[in-house]
Parts: sequence; C-alpha cells; structure tokens
Amino acid sequence: MSVRAATGTEALTTELPVGRSTGWWGMVMFVVTEATLFACLLGSYFYLRFQYGGPWPPDGISKPKLLVPLVMTAVLLPSSLPVVWAERGIRQGQRWRLRAGLAATLVLGVTFLALQASEYAEKLREFTMTTDAYGSLFYLITGFHGLHVLVGLTMIGWLLAASLRGGSFGAHRHERVRNAAIYWHFVDLVWAAILFTVYLSPRL
Amino acid sequence: MSTTAAAPAPGASREDLAALEERWGERPSLRSWFGTVDHKRIGRRYLVTAGFFFILAGLSALAMRTQLARPESRLLSPQEYNQLFTMHGTAMIFLFATPMLFGFGNFLVPLMIGSRDMAFPKLNALGYWVFLFAGLFMWASLPFGAAPNGGWFAYVPLTERTNTPGLHMDVYSLGLLFLGIATTAGSINFIVTALKLRAPGMSLNRVPLFVWAIVATAFMVIFALPALNLDNAMLFLDRRFGTHFFDPGAAGNVLLWQHLFWIFGHPDVYIIVMPALGIVSAVLPAFTRRGVVGYPLIVFAIVAISIISFGVWVHHMFATGLPRLSYSFFSAASTIITIPSGIQIFAWLATMALGRVVLKVPMLFLIGFVVTFVLGGFTGTMFALTAFDQQVTDSYFVVAHFHYVLIGGAVFPMLAGIYYWLPKITGRMYHEGLGRWAFWLVFAGMHVTFFPMHLYGLFGMPRRVYTYRSEPGWDGWNLVSTAGSYLLAIGLLLVLIGVLHAIRRGRPAPPDPWGADSLEWSTDSPPKPYNFPVLPRVHSLHPTWDEASRESMGAGATRDRILADGRRTLLTSELDGSRERVVEMPEASLQPLVLALAMLVFFTAMLVAWYPVAAVAAVAVAATIAVWLWPPRRPERELGVQP
Amino acid sequence: MSTHPGPRARLTGGLLFWYAVLGGAIAWAVHLLAVWGVDELTCAGGRERIGALPLRAVIGAAVVLPALATVGALLAAALVWRRTSHPPEGVDERPVGRGRMAAVVAIWSNLLFLTIIVLGGIALLVLPPCLR
Ligand code: HEM
Ligand SMILES: [Cu+2]
Repeated sequence: MSVRAATGTEALTTELPVGRSTGWWGMVMFVVTEATLFACLLGSYFYLRFQYGGPWPPDGISKPKLLVPLVMTAVLLPSSLPVVWAERGIRQGQRWRLRAGLAATLVLGVTFLALQASEYAEKLREFTMTTDAYGSLFYLITGFHGLHVLVGLTMIGWLLAASLRGGSFGAHRHERVRNAAIYWHFVDLVWAAILFTVYLSPRL
Repeated sequence: MSTTAAAPAPGASREDLAALEERWGERPSLRSWFGTVDHKRIGRRYLVTAGFFFILAGLSALAMRTQLARPESRLLSPQEYNQLFTMHGTAMIFLFATPMLFGFGNFLVPLMIGSRDMAFPKLNALGYWVFLFAGLFMWASLPFGAAPNGGWFAYVPLTERTNTPGLHMDVYSLGLLFLGIATTAGSINFIVTALKLRAPGMSLNRVPLFVWAIVATAFMVIFALPALNLDNAMLFLDRRFGTHFFDPGAAGNVLLWQHLFWIFGHPDVYIIVMPALGIVSAVLPAFTRRGVVGYPLIVFAIVAISIISFGVWVHHMFATGLPRLSYSFFSAASTIITIPSGIQIFAWLATMALGRVVLKVPMLFLIGFVVTFVLGGFTGTMFALTAFDQQVTDSYFVVAHFHYVLIGGAVFPMLAGIYYWLPKITGRMYHEGLGRWAFWLVFAGMHVTFFPMHLYGLFGMPRRVYTYRSEPGWDGWNLVSTAGSYLLAIGLLLVLIGVLHAIRRGRPAPPDPWGADSLEWSTDSPPKPYNFPVLPRVHSLHPTWDEASRESMGAGATRDRILADGRRTLLTSELDGSRERVVEMPEASLQPLVLALAMLVFFTAMLVAWYPVAAVAAVAVAATIAVWLWPPRRPERELGVQP
Repeated sequence: MSTHPGPRARLTGGLLFWYAVLGGAIAWAVHLLAVWGVDELTCAGGRERIGALPLRAVIGAAVVLPALATVGALLAAALVWRRTSHPPEGVDERPVGRGRMAAVVAIWSNLLFLTIIVLGGIALLVLPPCLR
C-alpha cells in the first residue's frame, strides 16, 4: 500500500461504514446512549469524591477489598469469548456452537451475579445505600451494572431458548445473535470501568 | 402550481397499486387504530397530542398572567402558582416542543428520503404511546394538587424531600424518566432511518436540510438525555429511599444536580430549536423559488452547533465558584457557538434576497421567526457580560429572553410548518385570509406579552413570584403583558380554527401546491399508506425540481423499486445511498401499546409505592419485549444450518 | 484511472476522511474535559502541581496537543477537498460529491474548533489556574 494510493480520490471517498443492518445500528446507538449514562454515573462518583475532599471512603468505611471483585472480573470478562465463538459458529450454520457458547456465557454470567450477591451480603453489614453518598454511589453503580448483567443474561437465555426451539437461527439469520452479543460485550467493558472506579481508584 | 406528478405514477401498474394497497392499507377498525405502525398516522398523533399539551401549558400560562395582571392579586395561592409555572415550563419543554418536532419528523422524514416507513415502525408506535402516557401521567397530578412545583430545572436542595414533601417532585422525576424512553427510542429510530432507508442515489450531499437537522437533534438526545435520566434517578432515590447524592451533610453535593441538569439542559435548548430551524430550511425554498443558499454551510452549522452545545453548560452556573480559568474555556465555546447560528441566519437572508419571495402564511411566520429569534439571540449575548448577567439573573429579563428564543425559534417555525405541510398531511388547503389574521395576532401578541418583561425585569421584578407589591414601572407593564398574552391566545385559537376549517371545508390539495423541492411533494396529498408507488431514484438535492428524479417514479420506474409483492422497502448504504437490499417491514401490532401500558403501570406503581405491582409490571415489560422480538420459525434450508 | 486502490489503501483513506471530518470536534471535546477536570480537581485539592509538573504546564499541554490534532484534521480536510475538485475519469460521481460536501463542512468545523481551543488557551496566559 502506498501513501499515494491511500490519499487518492478513490481511497478518500471510500464509503465507510457501509452495509450494516438497521438492527446493528439500532443496537449500537442504544449502547452509545447507555455508555453515556455510565460515563455520567462514574463522572458523578469522581465529582462527589473530589468535591468532598476528605478521606475516601468517608465515615470510616474501609476501602473496598479486592479479592471478590477480581474474581468477578475473571468470571465476567472472559464470558465474552464464548459469545464470540457462538456467533462465529452460527455464521457457518453450526447450531451446536451457538447453543454451547450461549450456555457457557449464561453460566459465567450467573456466577458473576451470585458473587455480587455474596459481596453485597458482606458489604451491607458495614454500610448501606443510606449511610452516606459513598454508600449511595457504591450501590447505585454496582447495582445498576448488575441490572445490566441481568438484562444481558435475559437476552442470552432468550437466544438460547429460541435456538433450542429450532428454526430460528442459521447462516443466513443471525442478526439477533449479533445484536445481543454487542450488548453483552458492552456490559463486560463497563465492568472494567467500574472495577477501576469503584474498587481500584480509592487505593490510588 | 405544479403540473407534474399529479397522475398516479405511470410507472406502477394497476395490479401493483392494488397489491401495495392490499399490503399496506389499514381498514378502519379499533384494532388497526390501536395497532397501527404507519409513520404518518403516528406522526399525526404526535402533532395532535403535543398540540394538546401545548394548550394545557398555555392555559397554565394564561392563569399566571391573569394573576399577575395587577399587584397583590389573590386569584391563585402561592402553592398553585408554583405548580402552574413548573408544569408550564416542564410541559412546554418536554411535552410540547420536542414531541411536536418529533411529530413533524415522524411524518416527514420517511417521505423526504423516499422510504415507505421508519426503520423500526413498531418502536415508533411504542414511542408515541409512551409519550402520550408520560404526558398524561404528569398532567394528571395537577388536579390532585400534587403537580411538580420546584421549577422546570428542579434545583436541589429545594426539591429534596425535607424541603418539598409530597409527591410533587416524584411525579417530575418519574414522569421525565418515563418520557425519556420515548425520546430515546424516537431518536434512535430517526438516526437509523436516515442512515439506511434513504432512496437509492441520495448520498449525504443530497439529504434535505430538515433531515440533517432531525438527525443532529437525535444525536444530541442520545448524548444529552442520559445526564437528565441519571439526575432524575438520583433525585428519586434521594427522596424515596434516603440516599445522599445531593446531601452535603453526608458527602453528597447539591452542585451535582446542577451540573448534570445543564449537561442535558444546554443541548436541550438546541434539541428544541434545531429541528425548528430545519423546518425553516425546508419551507424557505418553496417561497423563495430557489434552493437555500450555502447548503454545505448550513450542514456545517447544524453539525457544529450540535457538538458545541455540549461544551457550554457551565454558563448557567457562573455563580457557583468554578476556577476562572475553567470558566474561560467554556466561555470560549459559548461565544463561538454564535458563529454557526449566525451563518444559518445569513444563509436564509441571502436566500430571501436572491430569490423571489412569495408572501404566503408560512413565509410570514418565517419572517416573524427571524425577527423574534434574532432579538432573543441579541438579549442572549447580553448575558455573556458577566456583570450584566449578575444583575438580571432570576429576573423577568430572563423570562423575556428565553421566550423570545423558544417562541421565536421553535413556535414560529412550527406554525410555519403546520401551514406549509397541512395540505400534505390532510390533503386540504387552508384559508389564506384566516391564516394571515392568525399570524398578525400571534406576532403582535407575542411581542406585546414578552417585550415589556425585559423592562420590568430590568426594573428588578424577580421571576417565579406569585404576586408583587405595586412598584414604579411594574404595574403598568405587567398589565400590558397580560393583555398581550390574551391577544396571543386568540391568535393561536385562530390557528386551530384554521386547521379545523381546512380539514372540514378546505379545497382538496394537489400533490405539490407550492412547487417545492423535496420528495414529499412528489407523491399524493395525503400520501398513500405505502408513501410512494415507485420508490424514487434521487439525482440531486432538489429531486422534485429535477427531471431525472421525477422520471424515476414515472416512465423510468423499475420493478426493483416498486416492490409490490410484500410489505417491503429498500435499504441503501450509509453515506452514498447505494442500493443494498430489500427488507420486509412489520405489520400492525398491539404489542407496542401493551408494552407502553405495562410501563405506565410500572411508573404509576413506583409513584404510589406499590413495589410488588411495579415488580410484576417489570416482568410484564420483559415478557412483552421477549414476545415482540421472538424469531419466526423458518425452514432449515432458508436459515442455512449445518447438520 | 488505471489502478484502483487496494483494500488497505481504501481503509486508510476512509479513516483519513473521518479524521478530517471529526478530528477537530473530538480534539476539542477531549481538550475541554481534560482542562476542566484537571483544573477543577487539582484546585479543589488545594494544590497547584500534579506530581512533578506545575498545573499550568499540564493545562498548557491539554491546549496545545488538541490544537495540533485539529490542525492535522484541517490539513486532511484540505486534502479531501483538493482530491474531490477534479476527480479523475471513471470515478463514481456520488462518493465524490459527498466527499466534497463533507470536505467543506470539515474545513469550516476544524477552523471553528481550532478557534475555540486557541481562544480558551489565551486565558491561560493571563489567569492563574486556581483563581476563583
Ligand atoms: C404561549 C404563550 C406563553 C406565555 C403567555 C408564557 C408565559 C410564561 C410566564 C408568565 C412565565 C413565568 C412564570 C414565572 O416565572 O413566574 C413562563 C415561564 C416559562 N415558560 Fe412560558 N409562556 C408561553 C409560552 C412558552 C413556550 C412556547 C415555552 C417553551 C417552548 C415556554 C417555556 C417556559 C419556561 C421553560 C418557563 C420557566 C418555568 C420555570 O420558571 O420553571 N413558555 N412562561
Ligand atoms: Cu445555556
């Protein structure tokens, strides 16, 4: 490839993006607006923290322990891989891969939620949503993300049910799989941002 | 008058037309009324419903003006007055301005880009029902004396539970969250429709300016609305469940509300004004007999304004102790954003100067718009002087300013749009004389009402007071304002009468009564349910004016643009509008209504704290969506599965 | 045109196009968030340094780098504009028309965002960073 070719009329007027479906665009736009929501949420966390000025977390609440959240991360982040694998599979018409991949993700996602529940059980003994703004932020951010995981899992479970019925997906029909996959990857990525904000940043 | 395009497109045969009618037509029945997904019906409903909320908000304003006509009037109690101005502001902004413009968008965007419907017709129907229910949800609180009462921007700590007990602000936060669903869904729909459903040949440089404006607005919504939603969610949690986001006593901060609110609120000014400016650009060519001057410049202005509008929110909070340096970075954006706005105005003035102006009613409203909007912009730049800003903050000067901007920048263009597209929407012409009367009354009423507010604002009269002591310079001008508002109301009533008169008595409208340039004018008035018998092939920015584009719907029709064997439309590529493939469109369905009802139950249950009911409703929402999207069963061969 | 660009060249060209169109806007957004965030947070903490660096220098960098990125976008836009003014024979007319319009939009918007960044930057020369 030469610079000349890349800066010629034809290359510069290449149509990009091109050929996406309406469903793809719809899901991407939805994810964009949701991402903005999370950005505002995490921005509010930092805003309150720095405006507060004092020790963070306030009121003698201990800094969040890292073990459980790191395990949760180790469960959730890789859960995108089976989805990718499943989607690739159904593109080639391999239904078993779709089913197996979705099932694996489902298991990982449920494990994540179970871990989160156990973490809550412990945390709630120390502070709640009404203790102070830190508590409010902690439970709003993690709870809202947990809700997204639940929605994502519902989508995955729904795809699995539809694919088990048969007659739903194949090499020529997999739009719904891809759209749900986009959402799931998003939920995953957001968790990375939350891990940094809620669990790691108080130690910085 | 146009002589072309009147005959039912020679391109589509009688059988094609019959087949299209069979696939797209809706026989009048209760089921089809509740289940329709036709963007034209939905668009009309948006317009009518938003108009209804405008009347309610306008009556609230009249009540306020009546109260303020004389000093120390006792017509309204302070509590009632608070609810009235809050509902007036909130409804005007959220339930009238944006939905009204979305109504225009819904009706027009598919027609202007030469498609048969929106990208997601069922989502479109859902958006309408949610908007309707959210609006009713909020207004229903007024008779109970439980309407929002903390001003349309609902500053904490005033709106926290300790200071405003009762349901008032819960109605506000839940209502706006509910409405947000409709606005977001509508915006995504506009973006995807404009990206994928344009007629073949409509590359980005041939997209009508109105569509550009709607898409830019939709993008602003996508990025701005989350801030408001989050804000309202936090407010609700604070009030109902005792969290402390805005509570400085427990590590919270009241300024968080203001920051989030204005991150949304400033772009929202443009969310309201932008599509209205799009209407201006759409109406102008028909009444100046030429294309708008400087098309790429206006596109630039639209794009630039929608981006910069996110960088100016801090000017609403100059008094909150930001570092001066930070503030100056935001002022730079606030100052520069006037340039693209100015470019648009000058492009329109140049269009009028270079064209042959035809003074029909829509054109009168456009002129009224320019005058009023420019005055509003002028008082706006006065705020940029910090000292002056400090002087008039929270006075009636501000009220005057934003009514000039909002009525000038949104209501006048909307009225122009109503007269302009009435023939297309209803298939009937309006009465020109009646329209002129309406214009002059509205125009005079507007200025008589709001110009004096500058004066008594400068004389120090604060806004949001339910009454006032007699002061020099206040009493007389207040009475003038009140008289003006009645004049304005009569003018608006004449608009309504004009519309009703057109529907009942108007003479039938030809497809293109104005000799206008965009695609909606090259199909019937009102359009058939399938919009175009033959989907056009677009060859220029003004397809109805150019022979080749028109011919593509007539003699040059091809089978692959008639698509009569199914409920179908065309997908084209994102930037260049190259044909991609044919897609099947959904049939009418009751699912959108059911889903919206489930959401209504959810929000109502949250409001009155019946949480188990809310949980059931949430499950119903999920179930409806699951059924809605459930894939139809197809034979294995069609799907392409390996054994 | 005898040779058509390959897929890599097309991808690069397409991305360059988007850099031309959106480069200035994104640079400005990053600039504003960075400047405001750094200034507000550092001053709220009662400091005027970030680690070893004086706050002024950090803010200065958050002005200059985005400004340079915007200049780059402006140059790219000018390139698109030139390449679409006399398109070679045999190139599709629609993408060129679209590219040309986008180039005009891009040139203006990059100029505009450059002005905003520079105007804000001037304040840095006169105002101490934490003055309220
Ligand atoms: C139709 C004629 C209208 C009249 C007579 C009118 C009158 C008023 C008056 C008297 C107030 C001030 C209340 C106070 O501060 O005590 C007010 C506030 C307001 N108006 Fe209007 N208005 C009209 C139309 C509109 C329109 C079309 C919009 C927006 C699209 C609008 C948006 C607002 C807003 C946002 C407020 C501020 C509410 C608050 O303080 O929270 N108004 N209006
Ligand atoms: Cu503003």
